[in-house]
Amino acid sequence: MANSYPSGSPGVPDSSMPTGAPGFMPRRSSYASVVSGTAPPMSQSFQQPLRSGAFSHLLNQNADFNYDPNYQYLSGHMRYDSRAYDMDFGANGAYHGRSGSLGRNGYLPSFSSAYGSVMNGTGYSVFGIGHNDYFFVPSYLRGSKYVQKLEEAHKAKIQAHKDNASAQSSQAGSLSTSASSVNLHAKMPASHRGIAYEVIEKSPPEDGTLAPLPSRWNSQDKYGGLEVLSDGQEVKFTAQKTDRDRDHEACAIRADHPMPPQCGIYYFEVTIMSRKREESSIGIGFSSKDVPLSRLPGWEPESWAYHGDDGHSFGCQSTGKHYGPPFAAGDIIGCGVNFRTGSAFFTKNGDHLGTAFREIKGKLFPSVGMKKSGEHIRVNFGQSPFVFDIDGMMSVSPISSTELRPTGQPTFGAGTPSSSYHRRLREFLASATTFVPAGVGEGLRSWLKTSMLAEKTKIYQEIGETSTAKLAPPLNETELIQSLVLQFLSHEGYVETARGFADEVHSERKALTLDPNVELETFDIKEDEDAGHRQRIRAAILEGDVERALKYTNAFYPQVLKENEHVYFRLRCRRFIEMIRQGAEMQNPTATPAAKKSNGHSGDWYDDIINHEMELDDQQPQGNNWDRMDTEESSENQMQYQQLLQETLAYGKDLQAEFKDDPRREVSKALEEAFALIAYTDPLNAKEVSHLLDPKGRVAVAEELNSAILSSLGKSSSAALEQLYQQTSVLLEELREGGGHGAFVNIDDFARPKPGI
Amino acid sequence: MADLVRPLFVSTIRLGKYADPAVSLSDINALILDYLTTEGYPSAAAKFSKEANLRPQQEEESVRARRQIQHSIHLGSIQEAIDELNDLEPHVLDGNPSLHFALLRLQLVELIRVCNSTPGADITPALSFATKELAPRAPTNPEFLEDLERTMALLVFPQESLEPQLAAILHPDLRRTVADRVNKAILSCQNQRRDAAIRNLVRLRAWAENTARDSKKDLPARIELGLDARNDGRGDSPMIS
Repeated sequence: MANSYPSGSPGVPDSSMPTGAPGFMPRRSSYASVVSGTAPPMSQSFQQPLRSGAFSHLLNQNADFNYDPNYQYLSGHMRYDSRAYDMDFGANGAYHGRSGSLGRNGYLPSFSSAYGSVMNGTGYSVFGIGHNDYFFVPSYLRGSKYVQKLEEAHKAKIQAHKDNASAQSSQAGSLSTSASSVNLHAKMPASHRGIAYEVIEKSPPEDGTLAPLPSRWNSQDKYGGLEVLSDGQEVKFTAQKTDRDRDHEACAIRADHPMPPQCGIYYFEVTIMSRKREESSIGIGFSSKDVPLSRLPGWEPESWAYHGDDGHSFGCQSTGKHYGPPFAAGDIIGCGVNFRTGSAFFTKNGDHLGTAFREIKGKLFPSVGMKKSGEHIRVNFGQSPFVFDIDGMMSVSPISSTELRPTGQPTFGAGTPSSSYHRRLREFLASATTFVPAGVGEGLRSWLKTSMLAEKTKIYQEIGETSTAKLAPPLNETELIQSLVLQFLSHEGYVETARGFADEVHSERKALTLDPNVELETFDIKEDEDAGHRQRIRAAILEGDVERALKYTNAFYPQVLKENEHVYFRLRCRRFIEMIRQGAEMQNPTATPAAKKSNGHSGDWYDDIINHEMELDDQQPQGNNWDRMDTEESSENQMQYQQLLQETLAYGKDLQAEFKDDPRREVSKALEEAFALIAYTDPLNAKEVSHLLDPKGRVAVAEELNSAILSSLGKSSSAALEQLYQQTSVLLEELREGGGHGAFVNIDDFARPKPGI
Repeated sequence: MADLVRPLFVSTIRLGKYADPAVSLSDINALILDYLTTEGYPSAAAKFSKEANLRPQQEEESVRARRQIQHSIHLGSIQEAIDELNDLEPHVLDGNPSLHFALLRLQLVELIRVCNSTPGADITPALSFATKELAPRAPTNPEFLEDLERTMALLVFPQESLEPQLAAILHPDLRRTVADRVNKAILSCQNQRRDAAIRNLVRLRAWAENTARDSKKDLPARIELGLDARNDGRGDSPMIS
């Protein structure tokens, strides 16, 4: 009987099995069958980091000139929103819905593209495109940098598949998010500043340090009497006692991957699905790989579990301790491990039962064990919402936690749409610490502090209270920040801003000086020539005036474009796209009023100087003319448009002629994409191609050129502020190892201004 | 070339497997604009949004109005600041007795400062201000009372031999602190974020280093920020201290 089910197959109701739970079948099969119908275990996709890493590396190069359609250049709140979307993590859970859908979006395209590539018979399929890798992010881990990295690695792979497929099937699906440049990496070992999407596009680490999350039960790692159903989500005890020797006390199974300490807290839930509502003999917990599976977890060394028959907790020994209530069919038991404190807790039907174990160590796999035929569980490793509010436990509002209310009271959730969890917690804490008598309450209080107060909130609060006095003595925080900002501004060539800021800081310090006779040091903002040039080149691209940027670059850094041909190509392509864009705006003047405005004149005076001094006037000064036509007569407008169209086509021909023999696929693909724009009468509103015209695409081009110039100058690009960011990032990575504090901290929560209070 | 040699501080070989310290210029630009706007540097914020091609986060006028109030407080012109604040956001002080008290108390400090700096000066204005404005509010909050008592002690003790706690009241940092609070209160009243993100980042950097040292991670004795001009091979960084 047991063998009639191939292990790992989707659960099929079997009426001949009296101990089954047919009533549950529709529910449990629904989700898994949607997400992973034919999918082999997720493990497969992650156990091949070398292969997939090499593959996406290849494709990273190929994807050079696409820009990220998600990326919003425009500043302000819109921009911050889009940042959140880039990463798709919100510390306070505001993005839950979106992240969920992203997980699925990420999955489906991969499926279809894999199919496409198979159909097209591309050679890349040997790299394992054939398997689907369903990717999910447990809700409580959405703010985690570690999971972000997992997701990035996954996206890179999806992207790799998609690029490949789309190359075969025309440009239809080539909505690429790539802008990284492998070449630049090689040239700029010290700093990668300016490559905006490197983070997103990085290939999975080749050494496989990015441990995957547990995603299913491992049918290869179980004791005989157990059956794995519903694509790895369910486990059922199918052996009849009488049929077997009593050489074992129980049957246990482990998940496919250990719980990664980088999560900080790992949490999963198990639903008891057994049909009979009698006491269960199920043990839920975790164990290392060495623990025998013929016993319930918790009884053996290196295993810990909460047992349903007596409600006791078992930590590496056969005798349990009183812990919680017994559990049985219908209950949902959660198991959480806090790697920072080395402790574990359980929940029952959404209620926190308190700390069960301490001093937990090792590489631990989620595990369940059961003793009786017919016992049946279903796990949720985070693919669906949890019953217990683990999200609340992990969530935090970093900004408000660093602030004090006017009354001096720390605020917990203020500023975010305060979760009810926070409110309840606050009330609970207040009442517990106020009304519990001293002595009696000590244990409760410390328990509350250690296990209930949201880990993340606690740490973020600690961070908010950290003194910065040691960073750059004798500067206090305000002075330090002023110095950092001022240095950044002049380092990057924002000369006007630097002067304005220096004046304002000076006047602030003067006001604060009590003795009027004290001479305050003034700031001498020198203009760094290169910084000024880079700044103007960047500004030109951001305004859409690629021609001007090319002109400046050739004038000041003639070698850069020769040595960085891919940057040159991207600039040329962008120029063509901007021409199309201008044409489209002329035809559709109301479509993008903002774009007109952005074609400012800030560069003109400089332009004149250059033309004059450097005698570059053989260049056609056409770049700035088209967008000033909005008040002209429509016939003249039409003439202008025709002229522009001619020029655009001529430019396109040049571009084609220059690069048509280029063997690189990314070049031909980018050309195809760009030329496809001509086919649309209103490309700005054609959703297939409008993303190509988006001004956001300028940012990636600008930053790539900026990096190329810096690298040609042999300069590190880092202002102190950037170094500080990088140092923080590396330090947090250090702290994340082994599931320390760093696991709870995401630098983006701090370094990215968020909208609202 | 000194710049290239200057290490990130942690061996990239050891941490090479992670190595994503990439930070985009756009990210930093956003951080800067946020800072200039939130902490109230109107002309820098306006110039920066032009130079960096970013949409202003707030109207320049609104940033300027906040800066003006902060400036008055920095100067010690507290009555002016209160008037300006009441013009700009009439409800801020009404809804925030603690902030209102802090301002009035700073006003008292400034009055006392005037007395102390001119030998034989009349202390009556300070006394009557304390009696009229502060004393009625003090009983509503034990902290108010304590602050008031400490401030009044400044009149009693000779200025040269003040204990540190009392000397701190006369330090201009108190003006800065109060000005910051007022700025935050206005932002909060206008439904804007109160803290500049860059402050969080700097604190995070300090915290991360402290925590890494506490957990005995292998770090160099000192991690340079690169602010010091001597470390910057290009020497283009203006130094403040």
